[in-house]
Amino acid sequence: MKIWGLVTITLRELSAKATLIVLAGISTLIILGIFLSLSSSQVEDGINLMFFGSSVGSPVSHESLHEIVHGIQATLTKGLFWGIVLFGVIATAGIIPSALEKGTVDLYLSKPIARWELLLGKYLGAVVLMLFNIVYFLGALWFVFGIKVGVWNSQFFLSSITLTFVFACLFSIVALLGVLFRGPAIPIIGTFLYLFVGNLLEQREQVLYLISENPMYQRILDGLYYILPQISAMEANIANQITQQGLDWRPFAQSILSAGMLFGGSVAIFSKRDF
Amino acid sequence: MHAILSESLSKTYRSGITGKQPIIALANFSVEVAPGQIFSLLGPNGAGKTTFVKILLSLTHPTSGRASILGRQLPDVKVRERIGYLPENHRYPGYLTGEQLLRSFGQLGGIHRSALRSRINPLMELVGVAQWRSMKVRKYSKGMMQRLGLAQALINDPELLFLDEPTDGVDPVGRKEIRDILLNLKAQGKTIFLNSHLLSEVELISDRVAILDKGTLLKIGTVDELTSVGPEYLIGIGADLTEGFLHEASALLLKLSYTSDSISAQLSSTEELNKLIDLLRKYGIEITSIVKKRSTLEDSFINLLKKEVVS
Ligand SMILES: Nc1ncnc2c1ncn2[C@@H]1O[C@H](COP(=O)(O)OP(=O)(O)OP(=O)(O)O)[C@@H](O)[C@H]1O
Ligand SMILES: [Mg+2]
Repeated sequence: MKIWGLVTITLRELSAKATLIVLAGISTLIILGIFLSLSSSQVEDGINLMFFGSSVGSPVSHESLHEIVHGIQATLTKGLFWGIVLFGVIATAGIIPSALEKGTVDLYLSKPIARWELLLGKYLGAVVLMLFNIVYFLGALWFVFGIKVGVWNSQFFLSSITLTFVFACLFSIVALLGVLFRGPAIPIIGTFLYLFVGNLLEQREQVLYLISENPMYQRILDGLYYILPQISAMEANIANQITQQGLDWRPFAQSILSAGMLFGGSVAIFSKRDF
Repeated sequence: MHAILSESLSKTYRSGITGKQPIIALANFSVEVAPGQIFSLLGPNGAGKTTFVKILLSLTHPTSGRASILGRQLPDVKVRERIGYLPENHRYPGYLTGEQLLRSFGQLGGIHRSALRSRINPLMELVGVAQWRSMKVRKYSKGMMQRLGLAQALINDPELLFLDEPTDGVDPVGRKEIRDILLNLKAQGKTIFLNSHLLSEVELISDRVAILDKGTLLKIGTVDELTSVGPEYLIGIGADLTEGFLHEASALLLKLSYTSDSISAQLSSTEELNKLIDLLRKYGIEITSIVKKRSTLEDSFINLLKKEVVS
């Protein structure tokens, strides 16, 4: 109940921002673009997939059409993955610092709300907002592919949940940096930096291991890789989900654990603070 | 049960990284506030008034000491359902309208939606912001914001109310209105804890007053106790004092100073006052008035702080 109150207040705060309108606008443009350009037609020797009225390749069988569309959806989502995630971080990074501002935090904390509840409410507010956005975006695209080419890929629709999950994990870093620093700048920069470092860690054997042969250094890299949310691995996971190759649960489990730890850390730091 | 009980609360702020001098914001501060009172905490800027309230609200952690409010040992999340707080320099989310703000914060206070609906309008009327209910808080003026802040503090019909400079930025009529609201709340049995600089205002409504300086309690008592400056009397007279009178008065060791129409006397007892009156009558000097002098709270506040500097 109180948490829900915090979530609604956060949603109000976020919807008052221009970034969000831009995000919704861009999503709508992409949906419309695909809706207008994509079509299919039944011909003698199969189905013709068409972009802007001209067919892509030769007509294909029903099964291969599904495969091709899944491939397109996976590529599309992977391409948009970073866009959505980065935009989402920019749009939401300010909510924790703004709740902790002098004069505002007093108002929240004088209510019967524990400090962890305040953080959790803000966290969930950001996640719920992104869930709406992502479901709107991928849901609409799923519908467009369904009515235009007759491929109703439920996994494509469900990948919106996975994508929201990725955002939620990433937000644990935004939240931690938001508790530590005033203003949204450092959480945004820090999260982008993390995405970059996370990518390097993912490929540590090919890149970072080359810097030093020291086994200690290499174990530290391994350790970091396993304790931080695995965004890159989740990106691959989403592609697999859409092409219906199944999900790898390891990055899920690991990301939940590390996001939980980071959130716990944020709560611990926040609880100690004097305002 | 006390509304507020503080036992040797201390707070030292340390700025760790810069290694500056630690700031002692509160030093062994003990105070009791009985239910149903208006209690005011006075003190110059930086005395530690806000720090004390923040500790009671668990916004700040005490370095040592204990405190309880409404009989609950702090920290306690649940007890905050029964208190209201108007912070100094509060900043409300500007994207909400006044009405939305009261609804949102009421909900955070744990009040049921239906109860809130019936509470918001009368409350906005009470503090005088009803006509701006649909305006975004961003556009509120300082005084309007302060009134809305008061409504926010009252949204859960609290038993104990903390107000940090409630009339800051409010016009004189508004101040009077706020004073009346507070007195009305007191009549309903609520306890009000007030931080203020406006001594003349505090004087009008407070039952008890404590004066704090540099984190230390200087004095505590009723307004009467703090403002009476020992028995000093101003006596109006209708005729000049005669030589004989002055001679006899000094023999009685009465401390007097006088003008052509009044005597100012510092007397240690009413017995001395009566002796002085007898003497005036004996010499046929007409008495036009007798007034026991008192200082304003402001005078005693300033005197107290001056002494503090000297000692
Ligand atoms: N968060 C903080 N960190 C460090 N020092 C602080 C902090 N808050 C207050 N102080 C210091 O504690 C002391 C007491 O401050 P406090 O705000 O309690 O004073 P006050 O009596 O409310 O003053 P005013 O009348 O100006 O509101 C001041 O010296 C202030 O600088
Ligand atoms: Mg103050």
